[in-house]
Order: sequence, then structure tokens, then C-alpha cells
Amino acid sequence: MREWLAHRVPLDEVEAAIQHKRVPRHRYSVWYYLGGMTLFFFIVQVVTGILLLLYYRPSAEEAYDSVQFIMTRVPFGWLVRSIHSWSANLMVGAAFVHLFSVLFLKAYRRPREITWISGVLLLFVILAFGFTGYLLPWNEVAFFATRVGTDMAGAVPVVGETTVRFLRGGAEVTGATLTRFYGVHVAVLPAITTVLLGLHLLLVQYHGMSVPPSIEARAKTDGRPVPTMPFVPHFALRDLFGWTVALAMLAGLSAYLPWELGHKADPFAPAPAGIHPEWYFLWTFQALKYVPGQVLGLEGELVAIIVMSLGAGALVFLPFIDRNTPRSRAVITWAAAAALVFMVVMTALAFTGDPS
Amino acid sequence: MKRGALIVPGLLVLGVLAASIAVRAHARQPDSPAQPPAVPAPPARSTPDQAAAAFKDDVHAKAGLGCESCHGQKTSGGSYAPVARTAIAPMCATCHADASVMRKFAPQVRIDQYAQYQTSVHGRQMAKGDTRVATCSDCHHSHGIVQVRDTRSPVAPAHVAGTCAACHTDAARMSPFNRSPDVFSDWSKSVHADALLKRGDRSAPTCNTCHGSHGATPPGIDAVANVCAQCHVREAELFKASKKAAVFAEMGQSDCLTCHSNHHIVAPDQTWISLEGEAICATCHDETTPGALVIRSVRKGFDDLQQRMRDAEGVLSRAETAGMLIEDGKLAMHDATEAHVRMRVLVHAFASPPFDEVLEEGLAAADKSRAVGDDAMDELQYRRRGLAVATLLILGFLATLFVKIRQLPPS
Repeated sequence: MREWLAHRVPLDEVEAAIQHKRVPRHRYSVWYYLGGMTLFFFIVQVVTGILLLLYYRPSAEEAYDSVQFIMTRVPFGWLVRSIHSWSANLMVGAAFVHLFSVLFLKAYRRPREITWISGVLLLFVILAFGFTGYLLPWNEVAFFATRVGTDMAGAVPVVGETTVRFLRGGAEVTGATLTRFYGVHVAVLPAITTVLLGLHLLLVQYHGMSVPPSIEARAKTDGRPVPTMPFVPHFALRDLFGWTVALAMLAGLSAYLPWELGHKADPFAPAPAGIHPEWYFLWTFQALKYVPGQVLGLEGELVAIIVMSLGAGALVFLPFIDRNTPRSRAVITWAAAAALVFMVVMTALAFTGDPS
Repeated sequence: MKRGALIVPGLLVLGVLAASIAVRAHARQPDSPAQPPAVPAPPARSTPDQAAAAFKDDVHAKAGLGCESCHGQKTSGGSYAPVARTAIAPMCATCHADASVMRKFAPQVRIDQYAQYQTSVHGRQMAKGDTRVATCSDCHHSHGIVQVRDTRSPVAPAHVAGTCAACHTDAARMSPFNRSPDVFSDWSKSVHADALLKRGDRSAPTCNTCHGSHGATPPGIDAVANVCAQCHVREAELFKASKKAAVFAEMGQSDCLTCHSNHHIVAPDQTWISLEGEAICATCHDETTPGALVIRSVRKGFDDLQQRMRDAEGVLSRAETAGMLIEDGKLAMHDATEAHVRMRVLVHAFASPPFDEVLEEGLAAADKSRAVGDDAMDELQYRRRGLAVATLLILGFLATLFVKIRQLPPS
């Protein structure tokens, strides 16, 4: 069998590559596991998402009831839905930690620019997964949060209104919005993810793990190479340990804190108090509250969108902004730290502040 | 005598004006329906200027009528003579009882108000020349009359009780007619006032709902049930078909009022149904009287259902707090609550059979609700046990991995 396969696929070459693959071993090695953990959560999402697809019905009339059916009637449906919801949130968390760890360790440097860009784009796709998936149970909080979220696009000049109509499938959030969010969530985004993730993983394997500049400098000073460990079994077993911890977290959260379904959305009811997006969008939600109505003669919301777009653009093209000098690296480290503190403070304010 | 005769209508006009101001102020406040209506100040007479100002907003002014239409030509002194109180209703009726006149302005409007007024206590007293009783302008105002459907109107649903109270809370005024001045106070504490004034339910009963508007008269003992039956249809049917109806008729007891009172009608409670203490049934019944068995059985039915509903709610609440979905339990609880409401209606049959059937439905629904809650709690325990096993397995796997990693040769 093996011989038969080896004639048809480069089995020996792959095996040799795995045998010879080594991973740098230093005091920051622990951050290498975050990417794998994000991938683990993504795999959980794919599996549980497919299971949910068996019963979920993407229409305004049936969506809520079908999710309720999954949670009450389908054997272990409550667990599958709860794992899907928790895993989505943990995946976003892991992806953010992965992004900042890569950023602080300057792993985006040449020749890993494309690895970085594909990773940032994957984070955006994950956020899009979260935004579209949030609406699918068609509950009250999700309905009004989607209305507020899609409203933001209306502030963009010229194309704003068209964009809102495109996102919603009409002037308002309706069953048409649900259907297109569903389509994007289960078809468009997975297709984009497959391409980006394939590219990302291929490049990670091709270039290997990046060694942080400080470790590289010390190794050069000491005149010794950076220590490494075999990918198999040393790194793989440690990765498996991380995945198992993630699995334990998922199981505990899903069983002890099952994800709530809330009340069915009523488009004609007034928006209830305490409407808020998912936690990973809270910092933008909170920051927008502090933006004045007019900034330099422009609409405040538009200015906020411009600033956020510039920030996102800077993040994507970070490898080309960093000139790879000590001064440039220091500036980026402090800017990233400031951004991180800003996000954490805004999120904390959103949780503790006035719900209105 | 003439001076005395002028004082009463003068005071009435002033009162109407004060009432108008009070009503308008009341109407301007958005939260005012949550409060009992203020009782208008004593009657007071308006000055010609005040009357002219109020008339600008009057429905009659909009219809093209002027001062002369009611007051006739000016006197030699250059002013209009007030209309005598006994002449007010007949004067209004010249148009309002004439279909050929009224259809020009409002084709659908009724024209029997004066005929009804003549049958009322107010109308009959006024016909005798007793000007202390109400006439058209006391309730509708004399100048500044607006349509009844206008929320500013003193006879709009939310304001009727306050308008009646202007006279009916005045002990001195009510005393000669042997009427209680407490009716407004009693009604204000009733479930009907709550519904109208706090919940804003414009269909809730106020004075004219039971007494009539223009033909206002206290319903007699034999007519009370018909009055209540306007809304409480099923209760009235059950009562009329019950043995109790004949017994009450024989005793000269009023059908509904005997247990529920007339103006101070409070939400009924199952503690009313008992043979002991202050219970309503205990007023006439004790262990020796007929019906004692039914009273005990009905009360036990209510207590049993309430207890089971409380138990089920407790379990459902615990299950929901633990994150379980208990929609079926809530639906069953809804059925139990509905059965409870129907039982409260069926009490008016004063017999066990129809009551017991619905009680069984209610108990079954409460039990089903409880069962859903219990199942949810069992499921929760099952999940927790499952998680404990899964956690142990995962921890075991993690420990194995840890040992394996430690045993790996140095890289």
C-alpha cells in the first residue's frame, strides 16, 4: 500500500521534510503555539458548523425556531451549538493574541511579508465570520446589533447607501439580510479562508518559524546558533498539548455556561436597552461614542471610518512600513502597545459603562 | 330669591371654568393618566371676556354659531343675559334633538340626549325646578365645548370621573339627595380606575359606563347584573344559570354587588372563598349551610393549582438560570395560568362540575410544566456528569502528553 502511494504522491519527500523540520527553541517559543490553537478552533468551527447546517433554516420565519429545535430536540444539539459559539469567540481571541505576538516578535520581517498579509486578512475574515454568524440565530440582540453595525457603512460618502443596501439586501435588516449573511457565512467566507489559510500554512512551512531579532542578535554575539527542536515529536506533542487544553476549555465553557439564545427578533419592536455587538467589536463601538458629531468640518462617523480604514491598511502593509531598523522597530512596538491598551480600555469601558 | 337663584348658576359656571382649566392642565401632562383625576374646584362664573376667549375654541363657533344663538339679543345694557339653568337643556335640545339640524354638522351624531336626560335623576329634578342638579353645561362646559372624542373634553373617558366628582364629592351638595360623597374615592381605588387611569385602557368602566351618560341614574338591584354583564358576559351567564340567582332574588340581594361591591371593586382573591374569618363566602355561609362542601372544594382547587404552579415555576426558574431551554414548560405554565383565569370565571356557577373540569386541565398543565423543569434539571445533571468524565479523560490525556514530552530525548 505504502509503495503504491509512494509512486503516486511524494510520500517519502514529505516524510523526510517532516523528519528534518526543526523549530527554534527560545524563551518566546510559547507564542508559536497560538497559530496552531487558532487553527484548532477553526477546525472545531468547521465540524460543528457542518453539524448545525443539518438542522438550521436560513429564513426570518424559521431561523430562531430551528436553533431552538437544535438546542432542545436534537441529541447533543445544545452542545454542538454551544461549542460553535464558544469556539468562535475563543478563535477570535486566539487570532488576536497570535497577531499581537507575531507583531511584537517582528515575525513579519522579510521574507515573511506575504505570510503576515495572509494572516491579517485571515483575521479580517474571522471577524466577518463573527459578524455574519451573530445574526443567524435571528434573536433580538443580534438583530438590532446588525442594524447598528450595517448602519455604520452608510457614513461612507458616495457608496455608503449602496453598501448598506448591498449588506442588508434592502433598506432595512430583514429576512433578506439573514439569507445573504448565511450565504456569506457558509460559502463565501469558507472559500476565501481555504485559499488564505492554504497560502498561510504553506508559507509557514516553507519559511519555518521566525526567530525574534533579540534572540538572533544574542546568538550572533555568543557565536552560537539558535537552539532548535525537532518538529516531530517535540513540537508536535507540545502543540497537541495546547490543543487539548483548548478542548478542555471548550468543553467546560459549553457545559457550564451554555450559549444563550435570547428572545426571537421582532423587527417592529423598539430596540431593547443594552444592545451591543460581540465583545471583539466592542472597542470600536465604545470609541465611536467619544467621536464628536463634526471633526474638521467632516461628519464624525466618517472620520472614525477613515481612521479605522487607515489603521487596517497600516496593519496589512506593516512589513513595508517597518524599515527594519532598531528605531523603526521601537516605534512599531510602542504603537502596537498603545493600540492594544486602547482596545483593552475601550472594551473595559463598554463592559462597565452606561449600557445606553 | 332672585339673587339667590343667580348665585347657584353663577357658582356653577365658575366651577365649570375651573374644571375646564383643571382638565386642560391635566390633559397637557403626559403622565397624568397614571394619577386619579383631580376633583375640580367649586363652580365659578366666567366673565364675558373669559367666555368670549373660551368660545373661540368651541365646536359651535367652528360650526358658525355665535353668542346670540344661545343668549339671544343683547340686553339694553349692551350685554348678553345668562341662560337660566332650567332652560339650558331645552335650549341645547332645539338643535341636538333635531335630526334635520344635526345632520348638517355630524350626520352620525345621536339626537336622543335630551330625551335620555329627561329620564335621568338630573333631568327629573331639573324639571321640578331644582337647579342644584347637573345640566348640559356642567359636564360639557358652557363656552369652549369640544367634542367628546377630543381628549381635552371633560367627558372624555379619562376625565368623566373627575367631572362627575365636581359635584358628587361635595358632601353638602349630596346630602339633600341622600347620596354618598365617597363614590369617586371608592371608584379611584377600584380595578376599573386602575385599568383606565394607570394602564390607559380607554374601554375600562368609568361613571357613565354603568350609570349612562345623559340618562344617568343608579341602576336598580335587579338591573346591576345587566350592567356588569356588558363586559363580564360569561360570569353573568353562569350566575344567572346558577342556584344562587334565585336565592339572591328571593333575599332581595343585588346580584354582583353582594360580593364585589359597587364602586370600590377590587381584584378578586381566592381568600374570598372560605367559611372562616373575613372571607366573602363566610358572610352568609358556615359549615352547616348548603354549599359549604362546594366552597371548600373550590378553595382547595385554587390552593392546589396555585401551589403546583408555584412549584413548577421554581423548578423552571432554576433550570433557566442554569442555562437550560424550558420553552415547553413555559407553554404548559401559560396553559395552567389560562385555566386559573377560567376557574375564576367558573366560580360564578357556584357549583363543582364545570369548575372541576377546568381545574383538572390546570393541574395537568402545571404538572407538565413541572415535568419539563425536572427533565431539564436531570439533563443538566447528566451534562455535568458527562463533563466530569470528559474532563477526567482530557486531564488524563494531558498528563500522558506531559510525561511523554518530559521523556523526549534532548533536542
